[in-house]
Amino acid sequence: MVQPYVKAQKSKAYFKRFQVKFKRRREGKTDYRARNRLINQDKNKYNTPKYRFVARFTNKDIIAQIVHANISGDIVLAAAYAHELPRYGLEVGLTNYAAAYCVGLLLARRTLKQLEMDSEYEGNVEATGEDFSVEPAETRRPFRALLDVGLVKTTTGNRVFGVLKGALDGGIDIPHSEKRFAGFNKDSKQLDPEVHRKYIYCGHVASYMRTLIEDEPEKYQSHFSEYIKRGLEAESLEGMYKKVHAAIRADPAAKKSEKPPPKEHKRYNLKKLSYEERKAKLIDRLKVLNSAAGVENDSDDDE
Amino acid sequence: MPAGHGVRSRTRDSFSRPFRKKGYIPLSTYLRTYKIGDYVDVKVNGAVHKGMPHKFYHGRTGLVWNITKRAIGVEVNKQVGNRIIRKRIHVRVEHVQPSRCTEEFKLRKVKNDQLKAEAKKNGEVVSTKRQPEGPKAGFMVEGATLETVTPIPYDVVNDLKGGY
Repeated sequence: MVQPYVKAQKSKAYFKRFQVKFKRRREGKTDYRARNRLINQDKNKYNTPKYRFVARFTNKDIIAQIVHANISGDIVLAAAYAHELPRYGLEVGLTNYAAAYCVGLLLARRTLKQLEMDSEYEGNVEATGEDFSVEPAETRRPFRALLDVGLVKTTTGNRVFGVLKGALDGGIDIPHSEKRFAGFNKDSKQLDPEVHRKYIYCGHVASYMRTLIEDEPEKYQSHFSEYIKRGLEAESLEGMYKKVHAAIRADPAAKKSEKPPPKEHKRYNLKKLSYEERKAKLIDRLKVLNSAAGVENDSDDDE
Repeated sequence: MPAGHGVRSRTRDSFSRPFRKKGYIPLSTYLRTYKIGDYVDVKVNGAVHKGMPHKFYHGRTGLVWNITKRAIGVEVNKQVGNRIIRKRIHVRVEHVQPSRCTEEFKLRKVKNDQLKAEAKKNGEVVSTKRQPEGPKAGFMVEGATLETVTPIPYDVVNDLKGGY
């Protein structure tokens, strides 16, 4: 069987001239164009930090952080995760719009408490879904951060804006427009606060639960099994979220986990061998090759 | 066609980005802070077209005299005719690097202050002046073998073998 001639695509010259993109760009994690514009601080403001309000979603978790940039590495001022929400009474639906609101609210209250500004900037205690911006108080100016969505497509009603709304109602000053909140009507160019409020209190999930109970009860049983296990029904969701908001405002401080730190760090990548170890490995390999080929004289350099 | 003396003439190589360093510039250039009175090197980054200095200033070192939102005012010496003028230019931060010309001096200053404070405590007098490198110390040449070379007496017959 003759192999068809395949022209070599990537020659040695190709690799020699190849310029790799930045590491985080290769990993597909950082949008440097956006990062540049978020981090760049006016030179005549010298060392004043520019805080970014980072909202990231994984498949099962929400991560919200307040970060400022540094040459040796970004420094995180405060962080809040969706997996902390069970502490405040929210155990299911940890990545929906309502949970995102809770995480944003938690992070805002946490930072304000850390900076001892929480009594001055209460924010919006009752979540109404209307656009709320912090008003500057008498003594200190509000804490300002810039929203960093990452690589997410910023469509209307995206959960990152749920996190944003939570932080705004928590009392942090983040420049924004209401165009991308859930409930913004493109034709009338207005935000419908009722719809937005519905999303903040998980109303969209509740209405889906109601339709499923009527039309497909088996699917309801399988899809919302965790809700059913905890006795959560469509009507009780709003009350639960109100309690969660109140619990968050009562005690936003971060709690250190009780797990003892692991004695030995788990290695995720291969350990780099030392020069002697690499040499020894090469000698072993040559020995095996030589014995396999049946060559009498071993030509290793045992140095 | 004549040579052309445009602003960026003859900058084909000096303004071009180095091999395999094209494209996005690392963000540390934007994170550095500069104070008035710092020394900075002017090094043009061809990827950023705004706030570029003239090619004369590429490779010059100057003092910072002004800081604006995105640019830095640098005072550079330029020889014009029979005198040196202190020229003040504004340059965007991408074309500026912190200079290490005073680094050695600053370290030495700190070390000297330390030495003087210690000496004061012990009550001894110490000179912190730098001494120039003197002549090398003498040393014995080791492991040398002697080979005596003498010229061979001139032999007419052999030497004229090639031709005559």
